[in-house]
Amino acid sequence: MVENKIEIEQLLDTVVRAGNLLMSSGAEVYRVEDTMNRISRSFPEVQNVQSYVTATGIIVSITMDGITRTHIARVKDRNVNIDTIDQINELSRRCCKSSLSIEQIDAELDRIAVQKRYSFLVTTLFGAIGALGFAIFFNGNLDEIIAAFFIGIAIRCLNWSLNHLKINDFLNNLLCAMLAAWMAVEIHSFDPKASINVMVISSIMLLVPGLAITNAIRDTMATDYLSGLARGAEAFLCATAIAIGAGFVLYIWR
Amino acid sequence: MHQILTAFGGAFLASLGFGVLFNIQQKPKLFFAGLNGAIGGAVYEFLLANHVSSLAANFLSAIVFTCAAEVLARKMKAPVTAFIVCALIPLVPGGTMYDMMIEIITNDPYEALVLFLETLTVAGVLALGILIVETITRLIYTGTIKWREYEKNRQARID
Repeated sequence: MVENKIEIEQLLDTVVRAGNLLMSSGAEVYRVEDTMNRISRSFPEVQNVQSYVTATGIIVSITMDGITRTHIARVKDRNVNIDTIDQINELSRRCCKSSLSIEQIDAELDRIAVQKRYSFLVTTLFGAIGALGFAIFFNGNLDEIIAAFFIGIAIRCLNWSLNHLKINDFLNNLLCAMLAAWMAVEIHSFDPKASINVMVISSIMLLVPGLAITNAIRDTMATDYLSGLARGAEAFLCATAIAIGAGFVLYIWR
Repeated sequence: MHQILTAFGGAFLASLGFGVLFNIQQKPKLFFAGLNGAIGGAVYEFLLANHVSSLAANFLSAIVFTCAAEVLARKMKAPVTAFIVCALIPLVPGGTMYDMMIEIITNDPYEALVLFLETLTVAGVLALGILIVETITRLIYTGTIKWREYEKNRQARID
């Protein structure tokens, strides 16, 4: 009896951890719920699982031997990490196929949690390449494309350093947008062929919460209204910050 | 034609960049995520060049890149989201949002409101396109599984 009790606590810990990792990597709500249910059900002792996930927190109940235990976890980090989603998905699939022990799942989660992301240099370079791509996509001329590349580098550097100073997202986006608009204005005064519009749009696309907007709508349509609203608010705040930042600079220099 | 090609190249680079920012690790997955974005961008530009409205172009290209993402995800054994998210990025109405902001600072709130609505509808239409394809593929997927089970049971009964 005592052994069972320990096991249910352990299982809950593991399941909540998997869910938390998924949620803070930007997975959809239904995917997080589904994964947690799958991992729990792969243990034959588990009679019932209920999970309730929102964009900011996770609640899971597991019933075992007629005893129900519940865990709550707060989701704080919010970034996008597709590799983590991919690997935890793989893990849950393996759980269903061949039942792994809790320790094995825990070890796997440890491995996934500390996995390295791309280094600062690589993300900066590819962020800048992304901005360059947008400049091409928006029909920019050569000067604008090159300018967008360098503005992209500057934005990524500022974004990264503000992230490390633990400054909140709102201010972070605001300052990055200000920097982008200011650089665009300066480059325009050097080289009138480069239009401010294209440079600002293509560099600001690095900050625009496109994923949050679409995820919000997808969550809402999947009847996860609470998360839909939360993500919508997040996206709206982010967009407002960008608009205020860039708008402020352009207003002064106009 | 020139415009479609530039859209293809630009969207490829943009999606590739975002693939790295979103931390897609394996190189082939990264490449195909970029390619999927390029397909979405090229389809969008092609439709615009053929005088399709911007909303319809967004919707149709969302459908096309989500179908491609479903196929790629099954072939490459990765979550569908990985490919959808990267392909979505070039189509996100960032330009409209920028125009809206310009209208606000040049003191034209009515035009800004119109552009705000346009941003919302484009985002909604993109999500709708993705959702429709996802729902249909899930239906087909579960449908085939159910059908196979049914066939197996019938065979067992006959035997």
